[in-house]
Amino acid sequence: MIQAPAWLQILSRSSAALLGGYALSYAASACLARLLPLPPADAVIVATLPAFVFYTAAILWAFASRDAWRAWAPLAAAVPLALVGFWPQALEWLA
Amino acid sequence: MKNTFTQSMAWLHTWGGLVFGWLLFAIFVTGTLAVFDKELNHWMQPEIPASGVSQADAARRAIGYLQTHEAQAGNWGVSLPTERSPGLRVSTGDRRHGTAVHLDPHSGEAIDVRDSVGGNFFFRFHFTLDLPRNWGIFVVGALALVMLAALVTGIVIHKKLFKEFFTFRPNKGQRSWLDFHNASAVLLLPFHLMITYTGLVIFMLIYIPAGVDALFAGDNRAYFQAQGNGRLEQPRGQARQPGQLTDVVPLLAQAEAALGPISGFNIRNPNTAGARIEIRPELGNRIALSKGQAMVFDGVSGKLLSDVTEWRAAPLTQRVMVGLHFAQFGGYPMRWLYFVCGAISCVMIASGLVLFCVKRGRKYATASADASARRWYRVAEVCNIGFVAGLLLACVGLLWASRLLPVELAHREGWEVRAFFGVWLLALLHAGIRPARRAWVEQLGLTALLCVGLGVFGGLADGLRQGVVACAGVLGVLLGMVAWRVQHAAPAPLKGRAGRSVEAGA
Amino acid sequence: MMMLFAGGVLFAYAGMLALCQGLERHYKQVWNRTCPPAVRRVLRAAGWLALLLSLVLCAQAWGWAMGPVAWFAVMSLAGLVLVMLLPYWPRLAVGLVGLLPAWGGLQVFA
Repeated sequence: MIQAPAWLQILSRSSAALLGGYALSYAASACLARLLPLPPADAVIVATLPAFVFYTAAILWAFASRDAWRAWAPLAAAVPLALVGFWPQALEWLA
Repeated sequence: MKNTFTQSMAWLHTWGGLVFGWLLFAIFVTGTLAVFDKELNHWMQPEIPASGVSQADAARRAIGYLQTHEAQAGNWGVSLPTERSPGLRVSTGDRRHGTAVHLDPHSGEAIDVRDSVGGNFFFRFHFTLDLPRNWGIFVVGALALVMLAALVTGIVIHKKLFKEFFTFRPNKGQRSWLDFHNASAVLLLPFHLMITYTGLVIFMLIYIPAGVDALFAGDNRAYFQAQGNGRLEQPRGQARQPGQLTDVVPLLAQAEAALGPISGFNIRNPNTAGARIEIRPELGNRIALSKGQAMVFDGVSGKLLSDVTEWRAAPLTQRVMVGLHFAQFGGYPMRWLYFVCGAISCVMIASGLVLFCVKRGRKYATASADASARRWYRVAEVCNIGFVAGLLLACVGLLWASRLLPVELAHREGWEVRAFFGVWLLALLHAGIRPARRAWVEQLGLTALLCVGLGVFGGLADGLRQGVVACAGVLGVLLGMVAWRVQHAAPAPLKGRAGRSVEAGA
Repeated sequence: MMMLFAGGVLFAYAGMLALCQGLERHYKQVWNRTCPPAVRRVLRAAGWLALLLSLVLCAQAWGWAMGPVAWFAVMSLAGLVLVMLLPYWPRLAVGLVGLLPAWGGLQVFA
């Protein structure tokens, strides 16, 4: 398999880190906010506090993953999380 | 990205650290300076008299001034003299945008104080890089995230974290730089992790509004209301009827008994039947940041209308984390602890930047190296000097500009900021044209001189200003020692072709 | 308050020093001989105890909310001072722990 040039790999993984990481943190916070058994205002705070742990983990993942495709896994993981977080809005949109 | 996990993390730490380290150094330096923002404000505006007046007397004089000059205004603001901010200021209009008038706390007369960005500049630069506020907050937030990644990758790749916990081997070139970078990073790891993560928490809902989007359909006002921040009903009708303003002083005493030291108060609709007095505590009576809290009294009867409520666990947690970053609590001893820790974290970042060049200096500084690599190495070298020594020079340059610029200069604050960036730019250019070692020595030496020389401007009548000059003096001496050390350090020996030793560096 | 703060600093330094000397390479660095395992265990225990006392003193100075914050900072800074002194003036680095009994004396008699 022909390896992509270094700068492209770096660009790809950096984008995965930046965008995939954001997607994962955003979706995870929404999911947590929806699931936590707390009053909504409190749930928002408790759900958002750990967001940067997820983001950092996604950044490390983007550069540690075996290839540039796997680096985007956090973005994929964000989809089901976002569905959980936004399921009322999703249902409305479907109806 | 590389063959092993550790190698990938090392790559990320090295290159992320280098490219973003230059701005991160600026963020950490200005953040450290911002610990003493009010003291710097006071030094940069020498016209403000050292107080000695009680808050009660100052409050009476401030209201007297406002009654004489602004009796019809819709909102009066008074900043009372405090331990860190001895000035007395009054304003009308919105707190963030209204202009303030400085009063002499002894006479209640207006005094002419030069316009200055003050130490507040460092505070604002710290979280916006002097970009427009919303852009700046995002840029700095992204940089803070990179810092977090740099800290975690640093831990991951430091294989001998516990074995080499106390290890520092000086006078061994690259080994010493790595030892120092590791020591300053590992020993202060609680501080680094805390300050970085709490920094992100401050604007976390701006960065990741997911919770509000999911549970409140993105409606921020609904979210704030749900937290129990319901605003008191504003008395519109009564605000049109005239009323006698009650004496503020006993209310100040009541607020102080409940909240601790007071920083100031607002009077909405003064001299009307709908007058409201909002009294604010000084930040720092507890760890949790109390920004926005106030006790509200009826302005005519003096009755307490709204007390400060205790936060629930979740908002309290956030406020404690924010408070840990703002470092307003614990008095001067705590403030100094934060300052020293901040200074060392700056040195930690700088040592990492320098280590990058020291490690690669042998490979890329000689004529035998690849031309493109040599050029990039030179870029890194110049940026190191310009963004580390140059930034420090710009900071002390701002202090000098605040005293050298004519007092009556129009748009004086803009000129102070221009001086800051101008010095910084000149430093980068200087780093570009001078040999690396000389550039370091010259810039650090000049910074040291300017720091030590702050005393020439006089105006050292009170403890706060003496403290500023003394602290600058100590930092100047330390920087001078560093400059001296750099100048006299033996250049790293190189092995040239055919085994001959060649000396590198200028 | 300053006395309690000073005590917190000195105990943190003593704790860091003891933990440091409990490590083979640093014991050798100062005393030029190997460390008997019993001594090493005592040093480590003493080190952790001293750090604990530092926490208590910081909490006395600032209260139990702010105290731990100060404690982390004090431990870090004391450790850094130790690490910087050790290679240059190892005996001084160890000797500084003598400030602790001096502080103790002041507490009792002043």
